[in-house]
Amino acid sequence: MPGDDRLERLFAAARAARPDTARAQYGFETRLLARLRVEREPSALWAAWTWRLIPAFAALALALGVWNYAALPGPDNDPAAAIAADFDRELVAYFTGK
Amino acid sequence: MTEARPEPADERLVAAARAGDDQAFAALVSRHKARVFGMAARFARDAQEIEDLAQEIFLRAYRKLGAFHGAAPFEHWLSRVAVRCCYDRLRKRRREGVRVPLEELELPAAPDPGAEAAREVLEYGLSRLKPAERLVITLLELEERSVREIAELTGWSEGNVKVRAHRARQALKKVLEESHAW
Repeated sequence: MPGDDRLERLFAAARAARPDTARAQYGFETRLLARLRVEREPSALWAAWTWRLIPAFAALALALGVWNYAALPGPDNDPAAAIAADFDRELVAYFTGK
Repeated sequence: MTEARPEPADERLVAAARAGDDQAFAALVSRHKARVFGMAARFARDAQEIEDLAQEIFLRAYRKLGAFHGAAPFEHWLSRVAVRCCYDRLRKRRREGVRVPLEELELPAAPDPGAEAAREVLEYGLSRLKPAERLVITLLELEERSVREIAELTGWSEGNVKVRAHRARQALKKVLEESHAW
């Protein structure tokens, strides 16, 4: 197919166009080891882990929020609220005589 | 007369690097950087990205040195790491929507394009393919790797590589024809 021939010619020409990386390779080991040392520093490790743990902490906060909301006692089954309401009623009855 | 000392094998350098010897790792880098830069150049757009990608490949290799058990030569293992890194870079670029605009191309007028013009046209087309399609075309057609090699490098089956390569060629042809870039 003509399109395939053109594609083959394009590939063949592009294969010959490998960029010269000789200059970029000069001193590469030094730059790489410098970056490696920076990454090994405790502060860099701490920062990297902090960023990585953000989704986990966000999920934990969300889960705690949901759990807290679900675990909140309703007005009917909260014993402390019931005692307080009884106390209020008794107090009002005592003072009003009803 | 002093005899030239033989170069330590890659496996010995890996063992030393894992034990914390940075100079051993530097020796490994020095030995394999030309090949890594060559591969990075096939996927990167400019000199800065080639450097970034090459650093990323070696840093990932360093972090994963513990997973190298010497079952295959270090060079093959490093190539797999490099391919994985390049693939991840392509996927990241795809997520960011980075593409070569048509206006930036200097289109070849002759039927047989010059090497640099061909590279630009191909970069335009490849930047519009899916990451896996670009990866397989680059390895197969530009790096001239065999289907079996690509299967080993990517972890895909040979059949899968062939199917992806066929689809990638069709997609590339379509992109180039629609853009009138060739």
